Amino acid sequence: MSTVRPTPEVADMEPDGQPELQRAERPAVEAPTPRAGLMPTRHESQRQITKQGLGVRLEQLRAFYGKAEQVKGVDLDFHANEVTAIIGPSGCGKSTMIRCINRMHEEIPGAHAEGRVLLDDLDIYDPQVDVVAVRRAIGMVFQKPNPFPTMSVYDNVASGLRLSGQRGGDLDAKVEEALRGASLWDEVSDRLSEPGAGLSGGQQQRLCIARSLAVGPEVILMDEPCSALDPVATLKIEELIAELKRRVTIVIVTHNMQQAARVADRTAFMLDGGLVEVGPTQEIFTKPNDSRTEEYVTGKFG
Amino acid sequence: MSAQAPTGDLVARFGVSPSRRRKDKIARGLILAATIVALIPLMLILYYLLKKGLGAWSSSFFTTDPTGNTFFKNSTIGGIKSAILGTIEMVALASAIAVPIGVAVAVWLVEYGKNSWFAHTVRFFVDVLTGVPSIVFGLFIYIVLVVGTGSSFAGYKGSLALSLLMLPVVIRSAEVILLLVPAGLRESALALGAPRWRVIFSIVLPTALPGMVTGVLLAVARAAGETAPLLFTAASTKNTSYDLSGFMNSLPVQIYSDVTSPTTAVVNRAWGAALTLVVLILLLNLIARLISRRSRLA
Repeated sequence: MSTVRPTPEVADMEPDGQPELQRAERPAVEAPTPRAGLMPTRHESQRQITKQGLGVRLEQLRAFYGKAEQVKGVDLDFHANEVTAIIGPSGCGKSTMIRCINRMHEEIPGAHAEGRVLLDDLDIYDPQVDVVAVRRAIGMVFQKPNPFPTMSVYDNVASGLRLSGQRGGDLDAKVEEALRGASLWDEVSDRLSEPGAGLSGGQQQRLCIARSLAVGPEVILMDEPCSALDPVATLKIEELIAELKRRVTIVIVTHNMQQAARVADRTAFMLDGGLVEVGPTQEIFTKPNDSRTEEYVTGKFG
Repeated sequence: MSAQAPTGDLVARFGVSPSRRRKDKIARGLILAATIVALIPLMLILYYLLKKGLGAWSSSFFTTDPTGNTFFKNSTIGGIKSAILGTIEMVALASAIAVPIGVAVAVWLVEYGKNSWFAHTVRFFVDVLTGVPSIVFGLFIYIVLVVGTGSSFAGYKGSLALSLLMLPVVIRSAEVILLLVPAGLRESALALGAPRWRVIFSIVLPTALPGMVTGVLLAVARAAGETAPLLFTAASTKNTSYDLSGFMNSLPVQIYSDVTSPTTAVVNRAWGAALTLVVLILLLNLIARLISRRSRLA
């Protein structure tokens, strides 16, 4: 693929064929232990917006809709403060899989997941873990930009804090920080009180990213965040992703292989509910180990 | 014609044939005729209401209670003040009962019950309630609260009968509106780490509010025009009353009793009261339309 632009991050990566079960490296700095943050009893007001990302590991993850198995036993590591892209044909279980990482999958009637999802070293499917706290630690950006229609730009960003019951602190400062974090502040600072739904599509999507950032997550899941956007808006989101990975771990599902090549440190290829291959993006696109990956990235199917 | 070669006459291929033109005209004519037939009774109702009702209106019509002195030529029969106030009071209480319960049921159906067998059972009974004749609700309250307790008629008993009547309308209209709230909004709120109750109160209900107000006002309008549930629950009285535990007058019941009177002036008062009721309901409908225009849902 001529579009692959190797980034320094990619070059620094481990060699291919790295064992999947190898423990994700832990970020060096970590003031409050991530584990404590997930337990339901702890008050969340002390959380900082800028912090290190956390690694996520899937162990034999299986996801079901009723009896139909959509994700069939995936083992996969998402390294802290890296962007991992998930590619694969429609219906291969990409979205279902990432919806298991913040336990949104179980919101669909009849759906459930099996296996383990470790955030750092905490199994988020542990019965003692508060699902609400999981979602504060692992944010999500959806395919379609969906700012809350009843709320202004400001309230949309603040809603992340208000909805999750985090009070106190300087709300204005937090909103500004989140909007700056989403590269949106300069465009909307003079119309914070206007409806969020009045922004352009790309701005709405960055507003949604700011909304997730305001809660202070360690991981952000993006489910085809650019599929409803034009190329210019897409480029802005991609630049933002490169910026964001300094503070969070990013998992991005994309149909656009060029996008995966542009933004991702590592890329995982899924097919029919299973993980075919994962590795540094450059290798997945230039010398994949599996012939199915090669066929997909060269456009033979999918 | 379509069998003609592509090189054939374009008019013959693409022109509308005279027979199709004729059929189109006939069909349009029939539809227009049906529309006019349906409009005629509506127009006649409005015409007679205005013609007879406006004649009965006067300034004292709205500010005096009915007197009951209907047999002496020189006596005044009074207005409909107690009926207007009674209707407003009883419908207000009925709304205060039916709206919170109805919205709660709708929220449960949409957010929690979904497709469970119990939710389907609830929906089925709500639909059955929608079709129950209003006199049955009146009868039910009469048997349970009037005969059953050995007490007398009371305004609040009328309100209860009206609230039973409103309940299924409120539930169904609120459910439809709540279903219109995009699932993506709930998802993104949940994904922010919001507990479900907070998603409902902060996102779902505010988004659905304008649409729900419309449904509620339509239910209110329906309740305001009902006679049967009030006849043997709130009964009627002549004096203005602010005591919902006593007898209460109402516009529909006032119309009902006036229209059977042998005295022309009293029958005319019924027309005036009917026009008043229609104007009140029209106002509610207008308010509902104005609010629904502000709706943020498609």
